[in-house]
Amino acid sequence: MILRPINRKLGLALALLAGIYLLLSYQIPSYPYALVDADVVPKGLGFLLLILSILLFVQKKEETEQEKEKRTIPKKELYVLLGVAGFILIYIFLLEIIGFVIMTATFVFICSSFLGYKKYKVSALVAIIFSFLLYFLFNYLLLIHLPPGVLPF
Amino acid sequence: MGSMEGLFSGFQVAFSIEGILFVFLGVFIGTFIGMMPGLGPISAIAIMIPVTYSMDPALALVMMAGVYYGAVFGGSSSSILLNAPGISGTVATAFDGYPMAQQGKAGKALAIAAIASFTGGTISVILLMLFTPLLASVAVVFGPAEYFALMLMGLTAISSLSDGSTIKAMISAVLGFMAVTIGIDAQTGTQRFTFGNINLLEGIDFLVIALGLFALAEVCVLIFNRKDSSGGMSGNIGSLRLSREDVNEMKGPVTRQSFLGFLLGVLPGAGATIASFIAYVTEKRIAKRPEEFGKGSIKGLAAPEAANNAATGGAFVPLLSLGIPGSGTTAVLLGAFLVLGVQPGPLLVQDNPEVFWGIIASMYIGNVFLLVLNLPLIPYIAKVLKVPRPLLISLVIMFSLIGVYAISFNTFDLYILLLFGVAGFLMRIFSFPAAPFILAFILGGMMEQAMRQSLTISNGDWLIFVKSPISATLIGVALLSLIIPLLKKKPRLVADDKNLKL
Repeated sequence: MILRPINRKLGLALALLAGIYLLLSYQIPSYPYALVDADVVPKGLGFLLLILSILLFVQKKEETEQEKEKRTIPKKELYVLLGVAGFILIYIFLLEIIGFVIMTATFVFICSSFLGYKKYKVSALVAIIFSFLLYFLFNYLLLIHLPPGVLPF
Repeated sequence: MGSMEGLFSGFQVAFSIEGILFVFLGVFIGTFIGMMPGLGPISAIAIMIPVTYSMDPALALVMMAGVYYGAVFGGSSSSILLNAPGISGTVATAFDGYPMAQQGKAGKALAIAAIASFTGGTISVILLMLFTPLLASVAVVFGPAEYFALMLMGLTAISSLSDGSTIKAMISAVLGFMAVTIGIDAQTGTQRFTFGNINLLEGIDFLVIALGLFALAEVCVLIFNRKDSSGGMSGNIGSLRLSREDVNEMKGPVTRQSFLGFLLGVLPGAGATIASFIAYVTEKRIAKRPEEFGKGSIKGLAAPEAANNAATGGAFVPLLSLGIPGSGTTAVLLGAFLVLGVQPGPLLVQDNPEVFWGIIASMYIGNVFLLVLNLPLIPYIAKVLKVPRPLLISLVIMFSLIGVYAISFNTFDLYILLLFGVAGFLMRIFSFPAAPFILAFILGGMMEQAMRQSLTISNGDWLIFVKSPISATLIGVALLSLIIPLLKKKPRLVADDKNLKL
């Protein structure tokens, strides 16, 4: 198969990316008074990426065992990763609505349990102390105001 | 102001109560994070940046520098105790450090590493103090064309020296450069790649990239290895005492590799990882009994440790004197400078002498702290390796998210952070090095500006880049550093030893 070496697939994907980037670069509006306009560098970068992805596609270098091992991930682990990514998405979505302290404590507790930490008392304690500590550190010491959400302080 | 006078004012910053406190805090946190297998100095610095927002710049940067070399120092402990290098700069440390620990001499190995690191670190601070002002005074005459050429060389050097395929490293650099073109163009005000989204007008913050591409991607690796039992060796590490013969054996490699490591650290693209491998290989080559290497040789442990710490100091030379980072880590450090409103470069010595000399002076103190932290206290610190991985993973994720939220107060940036976390993970899986990406991202904006300024000066004549002998030479070196690895197979020096264990 022509796409057998992984580098060919990667090269193709990157060439596609370069194509989209170039297409957008050619749509950058021109500014009449600039000697070197805003589109020069992006166009250059787009072509450079295109050339490099072609080089990646045509090069004959075999993948080392080490590299192959690196990209083989058991299916189960992939689901774990997706799970954590899902938690992060929920966290981001609810952060400003529910508030920093509650969301952070919940995240630390749920994520740790999800990853297999069974000492629930310890992780609940860490979650609560961690989120309160950071909240007070940022709000009162560093004067960076994190979203309080539903909590009154 | 002379060097001595400047150094004196620097020592005033570093020796103030706050100064000492923040140096200590920096090296302590750095050691802690550096010891965690998987978490490197880039993540350590990026995680700490939000904490510095409202701090005095001199103190904040003294602390950040401490985090950096503390992380390199701390990385060696987990190399020795667990055979799980905390950072890539200490991979070579494990070659002889771990066998020594297996022979029940973990204490001795830690002591050798600490002393070699201390010596390497201190020698490199002295050299840093001597060379940086010198280089800064040369760089004052640099125009935009020279700067452009210099940054180009930095990027090509890191691409050709990073492990794995040079083409992939270059792709990584180009992608980093592309990421920085998003937003309003500073010179014409034109919007580029913003898709009309107001959140993208100011571009993507470098912290989003650093935390996503490094901290979050490293978290993914931690998730895979979360079941590894850790802290196995920390129970009984044996005596820390070194005999006179041990010290004599260390002397040669430590001195040689401190100087060599510093030089490699100064060069763009090289840095701690390459310095430690080269130190290991050269010492093995000139050793009287090379067969001892890999089986717990004192020389094999001391050499990379001296070199990686010396290289860390060396990496500050281009950062402080030219304002141009030569590695991924110093690129993030440059970001930390800019967040605090300090512009490193040839004018730093004149404009902010307390920052410039404060950092250098604090490194003397930081190295002493590290020696203290890593000798008598190491059995206790090694306990941090027992922090349950699932808990650690959750906390690192939270630190990354809070760090980004605290600069933008906008959840849009958090989604972008997650996106770069995924990108960083994919890059890791498919063996694209991430350091060229972050370096290109930091240098990209400056490079584009320098290029367009030069072309404006020359009225559009591209020959301006080769007319000045300095920029012509730099561009020549940049091109050579790309062409040579493409023609030749990978430099066997690094490749050989990396196959041993990674």
